[in-house]
Amino acid sequence: MQIYKDYKDHADFLTVYVREAHPTDEWQMKSNVKEDVCYAQPKTLEQRVAIANDFVKRFNYPTQFGIDDMSNAANDAYAAWPERIYIIEQGRIAYRGGMGPFNYHPEEARSWLAARYGEVKHEAPAALPDKKNN
Amino acid sequence: MLKWIGAVVVLLILGAVIGLSVMAGGIRGAYGMVRYALPHMHRGTLRVGDNAPDASLLALDGSSRLHIRERTGARPLVIVFGSYT
Repeated sequence: MQIYKDYKDHADFLTVYVREAHPTDEWQMKSNVKEDVCYAQPKTLEQRVAIANDFVKRFNYPTQFGIDDMSNAANDAYAAWPERIYIIEQGRIAYRGGMGPFNYHPEEARSWLAARYGEVKHEAPAALPDKKNN
Repeated sequence: MLKWIGAVVVLLILGAVIGLSVMAGGIRGAYGMVRYALPHMHRGTLRVGDNAPDASLLALDGSSRLHIRERTGARPLVIVFGSYT
């Protein structure tokens, strides 16, 4: 999560786990089978906690983490499902991202942070050697 | 006249099915999107400048709780909503 690494000294980050988007008992994606991310839609809060912990452990996920209740209160308040980004400043919405997946653009949140705290540039990956010259 | 109306309706439905299939990667994906995704997708009413709603969240330990508003201090708070799958 590069945006977190780049701006954690300036902003706080909170990831909120909401209801699953592609569980095995609903609209499962082939890519999830391939990557062994196969979970049924949680029916209890304990099941949500277990999946969220699996996610954090697998990716060594660094940010603060919260899990939405089975009432989906956070999801409903922020129209968050399936994925969405907001930035809150002084208690108010400062940036509202689009609904995922089609309008989910983390680069917009990065631009907001970059406008405030400066752009963090990364070296482009080294080009692969040209086979013709080998 | 009714025939033309029927033909237009059929064409519109066909167009919607094809469009959704392209977006969702096939007819099965289109069904999944209509059956499972669209009912849960909401644009929402929050706008930039609105007060950020509060919500209680469960921590990863499964027992302690945190509130979104508690996390909004002097620094901006970036909230990423999502799931594993």
